[in-house]
Amino acid sequence: MSALLTLDTVAREYVTRKGLLGHRRVVRAVDGVSLQVMPGETLGIVGESGSGKSTMGRMALGLERPDEGSVSFDGAPMPLLGSAAWRGLRKRMQMVFQDPLAALDRRWTVLDQIIEPLTIHGIPGDARAAGLEALAAVGLSRDHGARYPHELSGGQRQRVIIARALITNPDLLVCDEPVSALDVSIQAQVVNLLIDLQKTRGLAMMFISHDLRVVRQISSRVAVMYLGRIVEEGPAAQVFHDPQHPYSRALVSAAPTPGPRRIEQVILTGEPPNPAARPSGCAFHPRCPVATARCRTEVPALVPAGPGRRAACHLIEPAAKVAA
Amino acid sequence: MTDIYPTAAAPAPARKRLLPQMPWYVALGMGWIGTMILVALLSELITPFSFTAMDLKYRLVGPFQTLTHPLGTDELGRDVLSRLIVSIRVSLLIAFGATIISAVLGTTLGFLAAHFRGLVEQAVLMLADFQAALPFLILALSVLAFFGNSLPLLIGLMGLYGWERYARIARGLAISASAQGYATAITQLGAQPTRVYLRHILPNIASTLIVSMTLVFPEVILLESGLSFLGLGVQPPMTSLGNMVGYGREYITRAAWIMLAPSTVIVLTTLAVSLVGDWLRDKLDPTLG
Amino acid sequence: MIRYILTRLFRAMITIALVVTFAFVVLRLSGDPAVIILGPEAPPDAIAAFRKAWGLDQPVWVQYLDYFAAIFRGDLGISMRDGRPAIDLVMERIPATLALTLPALMLKLALGVPAGVYAALHQGTAFDRSVMIGAVFGFAIPSFVLALVLVLIFAVTLGWLPSGGRDTIWHAILPVLTLGAGGAAALARFTRSAMLEVLGRPYIRTASAKGLPWAAVVRGHALPNAAIPTVTLIGFLVGSLIAGAVVVESVFSWPGVGRLLVVAVANRDLAVVQCILLLVAATMVTSNLIVDFLYGALDPRLRHGATAGA
Repeated sequence: MSALLTLDTVAREYVTRKGLLGHRRVVRAVDGVSLQVMPGETLGIVGESGSGKSTMGRMALGLERPDEGSVSFDGAPMPLLGSAAWRGLRKRMQMVFQDPLAALDRRWTVLDQIIEPLTIHGIPGDARAAGLEALAAVGLSRDHGARYPHELSGGQRQRVIIARALITNPDLLVCDEPVSALDVSIQAQVVNLLIDLQKTRGLAMMFISHDLRVVRQISSRVAVMYLGRIVEEGPAAQVFHDPQHPYSRALVSAAPTPGPRRIEQVILTGEPPNPAARPSGCAFHPRCPVATARCRTEVPALVPAGPGRRAACHLIEPAAKVAA
Repeated sequence: MTDIYPTAAAPAPARKRLLPQMPWYVALGMGWIGTMILVALLSELITPFSFTAMDLKYRLVGPFQTLTHPLGTDELGRDVLSRLIVSIRVSLLIAFGATIISAVLGTTLGFLAAHFRGLVEQAVLMLADFQAALPFLILALSVLAFFGNSLPLLIGLMGLYGWERYARIARGLAISASAQGYATAITQLGAQPTRVYLRHILPNIASTLIVSMTLVFPEVILLESGLSFLGLGVQPPMTSLGNMVGYGREYITRAAWIMLAPSTVIVLTTLAVSLVGDWLRDKLDPTLG
Repeated sequence: MIRYILTRLFRAMITIALVVTFAFVVLRLSGDPAVIILGPEAPPDAIAAFRKAWGLDQPVWVQYLDYFAAIFRGDLGISMRDGRPAIDLVMERIPATLALTLPALMLKLALGVPAGVYAALHQGTAFDRSVMIGAVFGFAIPSFVLALVLVLIFAVTLGWLPSGGRDTIWHAILPVLTLGAGGAAALARFTRSAMLEVLGRPYIRTASAKGLPWAAVVRGHALPNAAIPTVTLIGFLVGSLIAGAVVVESVFSWPGVGRLLVVAVANRDLAVVQCILLLVAATMVTSNLIVDFLYGALDPRLRHGATAGA
């Protein structure tokens, strides 16, 4: 089966100016990431803020051009942002945002906004009926459709965004922190809705979040990011059960889990990651409890580490790699 | 002009909601504006005489002396009331036309600046600086000196007045709308930029733009009447409010009413629009300075 | 700070260049000056000679560069009506204009700023309300109406003051009053809102909560901060010292630059119009520049973080 979405060693840099003399400084938000999303699978992307996961999500959708590397969707390279081909592709790939209120026009009714993609892409048929159906699919009533965004709750707004994203029957949905702005009690409902929709429609999903609990619930595969690079990737159950990279171990051990704790609690020390001051070698080494001299100078490559798994750490035994 | 009026009005739902708390002077101002618009629209029906008709039996008749000429007549025996009505029509036509042109021009340039950024934005901002750096009266006078005068040119020229304010507002609001998310979200749905700007951003910033229009409109009236007063705006035999004042100035010692009638209309109209505008601004958009 | 000054200087020069370009473009678009000046019936060889004399037979870009060069040499052309250099005609009118606009500026400042500050400090009182009403009327009454009403009252009805001309100091009273009154109202309103905004800021509340006497809070914190926006408006008023009197000079037959401009426009004396246009632009740009530098001195945020807003 060929991949729906492929990111091939993409990198994205931002230039910032600081101080009166305008000292140029290049920040590498994403640094050579390769990923694939298969049709119908959910790939979870985990990382702290500043790990470049949102930038990567925007590149996956073609909202930003990678400075290096390439993105292809369904076997074809991503068209230029804003071109007619790019606009046409939008009906096949959609996005769910962190702040649903900001993503909605406060002067339009919810139903009008849900069916707007049909108008934009000139999709024939009864748009209103399709809109009502979409409302029902995300668990909202016909009555909700007549309201304005500010008359809905946060969870309802996110359902509206999901309904709007799915009305063109896309193949790929990128969710960027879709539940982190919601109350914890609402989060589970929205996540369950996404899981249901993903299963019934065979959607491929890229689910970006800093919240391991949510990612574990929804993803079939996960990638852990640290300062613009993937440090570990693999089937969700295995990565969460037996993380190999010290950073993944720390993350997993810090997250609350049901049942007996399998790995020892690892407490992260040191500065939180800052993309503007990227450490040499393995970017994680200043906080790594097991770092060696080699970690300070040499960047570890992302190499196979078990069936369907990859990790980027010098300390993972070559033997383990061979065993894979 | 009929199609101009609804555009200049505030969005209907907002206005309905705000109507009950309107202070008396704002109601009065709205009443006066309404009357002026009605007078302008119906001017052909309600002028008692042709505004150029001379009645040599009645020259320099004072106001309130005969029923045929309630506001008196001028040196040539022309009916002041009729001339006033036609002047209101001409002045309002110029002011409405110019305000709309300037709003459309400024908003478009502001959107272009916000959309393309970079060089386009710098060029727009530079033009705005240029416009703000020169007193508009001087600019207008130079253009009139070079091009001579006609009504369309005058409207077009007045239409350049104040565009830089809309441009700055539209640019700022469009940039923040894009940063805010709904514009990005709609772009992400695959919408053309024109759709994003016209269907989404424009309605969202309309109230601010309308308030700016109420600030520019009285200034355009003052500008046009100033130019016409100097004899460089609307040219005879056509007449406008400023024109009447300019003409009446020659008779200030013998027939001050010729000049007082249009002066009163100018003052009351600008007063009414600014009162209503200030009130709208407080109600709709407290962020505007 | 150096970067800030340089940016402002650059912008000022661009603005002046734009004004020159504007004058050039308008001049060329307005038709063939030869035909306009000599009349459509002029013999073709006269027109050709005129075109040669004024460099109109050159390509447009050569004319444009010549035009720039001439302006920077201070050569602003000859008045097409009375044959003297336009710049001389304009310069000899400046004292008359300043004789009106400088006293009017003093009047505006002396009335407007204290009235605005006082109204802000006593918000909601009868005084405050009358300042606001005065400001609204000051805006709504155009200067020519105010001028004529003053003439009607003081010259025609009472016969106290002359209605036009420039023979005695009495002749200046009505024009100065006309210019000053409207401007004072606008300045008062602006000062009031600048002051009110500052008074609502947290640091004012902090200062008075610290136990500083109110007068010291106003003097030490509120006034300096409210001065920043007010300086901009005053800069604009100074910049319009030359241009601000067009209408009033015309009403009172005052022989200043404004009246010269109106006459030149009516006669289509292009050299004089363009000379006044450049002069006004130069004063405006210079005073804006000075205001920008004052801003830099008054506002420490600009002194240190000039790049943030630019």
